[in-house]
Amino acid sequence: MKILVAVKRVVDYNVKVRAKADGTGVETANVKMSMNPFDEIAVEEAVRLQEAGKAKEIVAVSLGVAACQDTIRTALAMGADRGILVETDAELQPLAVAKLLKAVVEKEKPDLVILGKQAIDDDANQTGQMLAALLGWPQGTFASKVDIDAGAINVTREIDGGLETVALKSPAVVTTDLRLNEPRFVKLPNIMKAKKKPLDVLKPADLGVDVAPRLITLKVQEPPKRQAGIKVDTVAALVDKLRNEAHVI
Amino acid sequence: MSILVIAEHDNAVLKAATLNTITAATQLGSDIAILVAGHGCGAVAEAAAKVVGVKKVLLADAPYYAHQLAENVAALVVGLAGGYTHILAPATAAGKNMLPRVAALLDVAQISDIVKVESVNTFVRPIYAGNVLATVQSKDPVKVITVRGTAFPAATATGGFAVVETVAPAADAGVSSFVGQQLTKSDRPELTAARTIVSGGRGMGNGENFKLLEDVADKLGAAVGASRAAVDAGFVPNDYQVGQTGKVVAPDLYIAVGISGAIQHLAGMKDSKVIVAINKDEEAPIFQVADYGLVADLFAAVPEMSKELDKLKAA
Amino acid sequence: MTAYTAPTRDMQFVINDLAGMAEVAALPAFAEQDVGPELVEAVLEEAAKLASEVLAPLNHSGDVQGVKIGPQGVIPADGFARAYRKFVEGGWNGIGCSTEHGGQGLPELINTATQEMWNSANMSFALCPLLNAGAIEAISRVGSEQQKALYLPKMVSGEWTGTMNLTESQAGSDLSAVRTRAVPENDHYRIFGQKIFITWGEHDMTENTIHLVLARTPDAPEGVRGISLFIVPKFLVNPDGSLGARNDVHAVSIEHKMGIHASPTCVMAFGDKDGAVGYLVGAENKGLAYMFIMMNEARFKVGLQGLAIGERAYQAAREYAKDRVQGRPVGVKSGDRVTIIHHPDVRRMLMSMKALNEAMRGLAYVVAMNMDLARHHPDPATRQRHQARVDLLIPVVKGWSSEIGIEVASLGVQAHGGMGYIEETGTCQHLRDSRITTIYEGTTGIQAADLAGRKLNMDQGAAMGALIAEIGATVEALGRGVGDDLAAIRAGLAEGVQALAEATDWMLGASNPADAMAVSVDYMMLAGFVCGGWQMARAALVAQGKLMHHDKLRVGDDPLFLEAKLITARFYAEHILPKAGALLRSVRSGGVSILALAEEQF
Repeated sequence: MKILVAVKRVVDYNVKVRAKADGTGVETANVKMSMNPFDEIAVEEAVRLQEAGKAKEIVAVSLGVAACQDTIRTALAMGADRGILVETDAELQPLAVAKLLKAVVEKEKPDLVILGKQAIDDDANQTGQMLAALLGWPQGTFASKVDIDAGAINVTREIDGGLETVALKSPAVVTTDLRLNEPRFVKLPNIMKAKKKPLDVLKPADLGVDVAPRLITLKVQEPPKRQAGIKVDTVAALVDKLRNEAHVI
Repeated sequence: MSILVIAEHDNAVLKAATLNTITAATQLGSDIAILVAGHGCGAVAEAAAKVVGVKKVLLADAPYYAHQLAENVAALVVGLAGGYTHILAPATAAGKNMLPRVAALLDVAQISDIVKVESVNTFVRPIYAGNVLATVQSKDPVKVITVRGTAFPAATATGGFAVVETVAPAADAGVSSFVGQQLTKSDRPELTAARTIVSGGRGMGNGENFKLLEDVADKLGAAVGASRAAVDAGFVPNDYQVGQTGKVVAPDLYIAVGISGAIQHLAGMKDSKVIVAINKDEEAPIFQVADYGLVADLFAAVPEMSKELDKLKAA
Repeated sequence: MTAYTAPTRDMQFVINDLAGMAEVAALPAFAEQDVGPELVEAVLEEAAKLASEVLAPLNHSGDVQGVKIGPQGVIPADGFARAYRKFVEGGWNGIGCSTEHGGQGLPELINTATQEMWNSANMSFALCPLLNAGAIEAISRVGSEQQKALYLPKMVSGEWTGTMNLTESQAGSDLSAVRTRAVPENDHYRIFGQKIFITWGEHDMTENTIHLVLARTPDAPEGVRGISLFIVPKFLVNPDGSLGARNDVHAVSIEHKMGIHASPTCVMAFGDKDGAVGYLVGAENKGLAYMFIMMNEARFKVGLQGLAIGERAYQAAREYAKDRVQGRPVGVKSGDRVTIIHHPDVRRMLMSMKALNEAMRGLAYVVAMNMDLARHHPDPATRQRHQARVDLLIPVVKGWSSEIGIEVASLGVQAHGGMGYIEETGTCQHLRDSRITTIYEGTTGIQAADLAGRKLNMDQGAAMGALIAEIGATVEALGRGVGDDLAAIRAGLAEGVQALAEATDWMLGASNPADAMAVSVDYMMLAGFVCGGWQMARAALVAQGKLMHHDKLRVGDDPLFLEAKLITARFYAEHILPKAGALLRSVRSGGVSILALAEEQF
C-alpha cells in the first residue's frame, strides 16, 4: 500500500498569536513555524503502518511557500520516503488545497491519504473531507485508531460522546485526532538521512488548479478582554446568570 | 434568503445543537428548512417541526442514513441544495464530518464554526484556537456554514407548526459502512477536557466536604478540581490540582469554591471562558478575575446551587 | 514555573553569523555531513523538542523528589530513566563524537547549542551525559585500541554512562593528596579506596557505568606525578562485549545538596571486598594529564551551565513580568494598573539578564568554533593558533559564565518580587542549581589561578595579547560604523579592552605571586566582561550590517530581532562593561589589604 501524507507549515503551537494592529491578519512575520501537530500524528501513523509491514511507500506533500520544504524534511526525518512541495506564495484556502491534493493523488495514485483533522492556524477542519468528496472516496475523520487488514480499512472515530467505528473501502482518506498516536521524536541520525531523500517541487499551474480564495478576511481582532465581573447576591441569581446571560449551563 | 439546516439526531431525539444552529439561521432569514436524514427517524422530524422559526422539515429515511455516514448524507444534501442560499449544520463531530463534503461537491468554501452572523455573507469565526476572531466574507453563491452552538442561544423547541415533507433518498455510495460504536458512560470528564469544572480550595475544610462539589459537578456534567492548598491539605489527590504546577485548564465554565485565588492557581485557570467564585471572604483575590462572584458561606451556597440545578432540570 | 523554549533563533544567529558556521562547515572533516544553516536549524529544532517536552517537565519534579539510595543502589527521580532512554534513542548523546565509534561527528559548535538546551531544560539530567562525554574524550584520546573497541560504542550511544572519580574527602581541589590504591594483578589492577562527590556515580538508567578513577600504584612518586587513571566498569565487560561479574564498586551514600537534587552525588567505595578490577588507561603516573582531558571538556560545559541556567531564569522572569499586573507607570497616578514589565527597574533586570545571557552565549559558542578549527583545520599553524585561544578562554568560560549564571538566576528571583522567593514559583530552583557551577570542576579561584597563573605565564601573555589585538580591531570596525548605538558600543568596548590590556600588564609584571593570586578572580572576571562585550559588539556589527542591507535579509532574519541585538549590545556597553574599569582598579590595588590581616584578626 502507498500512503500519501499531507503536512502543513503553521505558526508553532507554543506561539501566542496576536492580531496585527491594523486588523488585516495575525502577526506571522518571523514567528516560529512548525509542522501542524495533527499532521505530525498523520506522519507518525503512516510510519507505524509502514513499520508494521502494511505500507510500502510514504510520500509527504506540503503546499505553500518555499519554506514548507523544512516541514517536508521533518516528515522525511520521521520516516516518510520522499516529498512533494506544491510551491506557491498565494493564500491557499481548504478548497484550493483539496483540489491541489486531488491532482497530486491522481499523479501518485496512493491507496490511503492521511491528513491532520485540522490545522491549528485556520482551525477549518475541512481539507480531508473535501479531498475525499472530490475524489469520491470514503473518509474516516477524527481517527483515534486505524486498522488495515487485507485492503479493508477500519477507522475508529472520535464522535461526540464516544467512539464510532466505520469500515472504508480502499482507497480512502483518514484524518487524525489527538489520541491516534504520540508522534515520535526525530532521531538525530534520521535528520542527516532526511537531507538525502528526494523532494520534488511542483507549481499549482503544473497541476492545472485554480487556487483563487473564496473567502475574504475583512478583519482579524483579538476577542474582547474579560469584562469586569459582577457580584450576585443569591445562588438563584447566580444560576440564572449562568443559564441566561453566559449560556454555560 | 433560503436556509437549509441539517439536523443532528440519533434517529430518536433531536439534539440540542440543532436548536442553536436554527437560531443562527433565523439571523440570516426566515425561510428555514430542516433536513432530517436517518432511518426510522420520524419522531425527530416531528420534533423538528415544532421548533419555533422552522418553515419546513425534509425527512429522508433510508437504512444507509442510520449512522449519518458522511459519504451518503453529503450526497443527499448536494442533491437538495438547489434553491438554498445557505446550508448550515452544527459544528459538532457529525456536522464537521459531513458538511465539508457538501461544500467541495458544490465547489464552494465552507465557513467553519461561526460564532456571529454579521450579514448574509459575513461571519465571525475563531481562528488560532480562539486567540483571535476573523471576520470573513463569502463570495460563493451558496454559503456552507458550521455553527458553534455555544455562541447562539437555543431556539424554542416547541410551539412551531412546520410541515414535514418526505424527500427521496439519494443512492447509497456504498464505499463505507458503520461497524459499531462505544459511547462513554456518564462518568465525570477529564479535568483538561471538561467544559465545566467545579474546584474546591482550602475553604472546603476536609476531603469529605468535596462530596458537595461532586454533587453539583454531576448535575453539570463537570469535572472536579482543586487548588494546591486543598491538595496539600490532603483533601483530594494530586491529580485534582489546577494551577501552575498542576493542570492548566480553560473550560467554558470554572466554578471556584472556597478558593482564595493565589497567583499559581489563577495561572492554571485564568483562560476559562466564564469564571464563578464562591467565597465568604469578599476581599479574596479570586473575585478580581471572576465574572460572577458570590460572597457566601459555601456550605450553604453549594447545596442551594444543587437544588437550583434540579429545578432547572425539572423545568 | 514556566516552560522552557529553546532560544533557537538566537542560537542560529550566534552559530551562523557570529561564530561563523561557514568556516567550520568548510573543514574537510565535515564535508560528509553538509552542515549548512538548514541542518543547523533542523538539528536545533528537534533537540529543542526533546528539551522542552521531555527534559524540562522533569526539572521541577526531580528537584522536589530528589534521588534515593537503597539496597538496590541509587534510584533516580521518576521519569528520568524514560527520558534518558528517549535521549539515547534519539542519537543525541553521540552528536559530537567521532563517527568511528557510532557518533554523528557534528561540529562542537552545533553540539554546544544542544548542550545548552539539555542544561537549561534540566541541569540534573544533563550532568549525566556531560560527565560521560568527558570519559569518552579521555578513552578516545589515550585509551588502548582494545579499550576503545570495548567501551566506546556503548558510551557514545549512551547505552552506558561514564563518570569521573577524582575527589577524595582529604583531597578536594588538591589532587596531590589522592590516596586511592591500585594494586597490579595479572592484566589488571585491584582498586581500593573511597571517592566523594561522584556525579551520577550510580544509577539504574543504563545497564553499565564506566568509572574513570584516579589512583596510585604501589611505587608511585608522591604528589600529582604519581597519579594514574583507571577504567573501572560497574559490571566487568567480557571480550565479546557482553557483561560479566558485578565489580567491587558501589555507591555507599548520596549527598543532600543545595540544588541539582535529581543528580545523584555519590560516595563511591572501591574494593570493600577483594578490590575493584581496574584497567590502566595510557601509562602509569600520567593520570593528571589525562584527567585534564576530561576536566577541560567538563569545565567548558560547566561554563555553558551558567548560560543555560541564566537563559531558563530569564525566560521565567520575562513571562512573569509580561503577565503580572501591579502598580501604574512612573508618573501616572490613576487609570489601569500595568504589567510589571512597564516599570524601569524591572526593565533593568530583564535587560541585564538578556544581555549577560547573550554575551555568555556569544563567548561560549565562539570558543566552540575555535575548538572545531583547533581539531580539524588542515594547517597545523592555524590549528595551534585556535588551540591557544581555546586554552586561554576555557577558564574564562568556566569561571566567568558560572559566576554570571548565578547573578542572572538571582536577578530572576528578584524580578519576581515576593513570588520569586516561593519554591513553587520555580525560580528558587534555578538559583540553587546554579550555585554549584562556580564550585565543581575547579572553583572560580582555581579558574582564575589557571588563567592568571598558568595560561598567562605559559607564553608571557602572547595568547592574551593576540586576543586584545583582535578586540582592538573590532573597536576600530565599530568606529567605521554609523549611528549612536555603534558609537556607544565602541566607547564602552574601547574602555573595556584598554582595562584588560592594563590589567594584563599588571598581572604579568606582578613581582609577588601571592599578590597576583589575590586579585586573579578580579582579573578573570574583567576578562570575561570584556570578552562578552566583544561578542556583543561583533553581534551588533552583524545586526547593523543586515539591517542596512534589507534586501539581503535571509529567511529568519527578523528586523525586530536584529534591532534588539543592537540595543542589547548598547545596554551591555553602557551598563555592564563599566565594571571592567572598577575591576582594573581592584587588580591594580594588588593583594596588600587582602592579605594584610593576621589570622587571629579574622
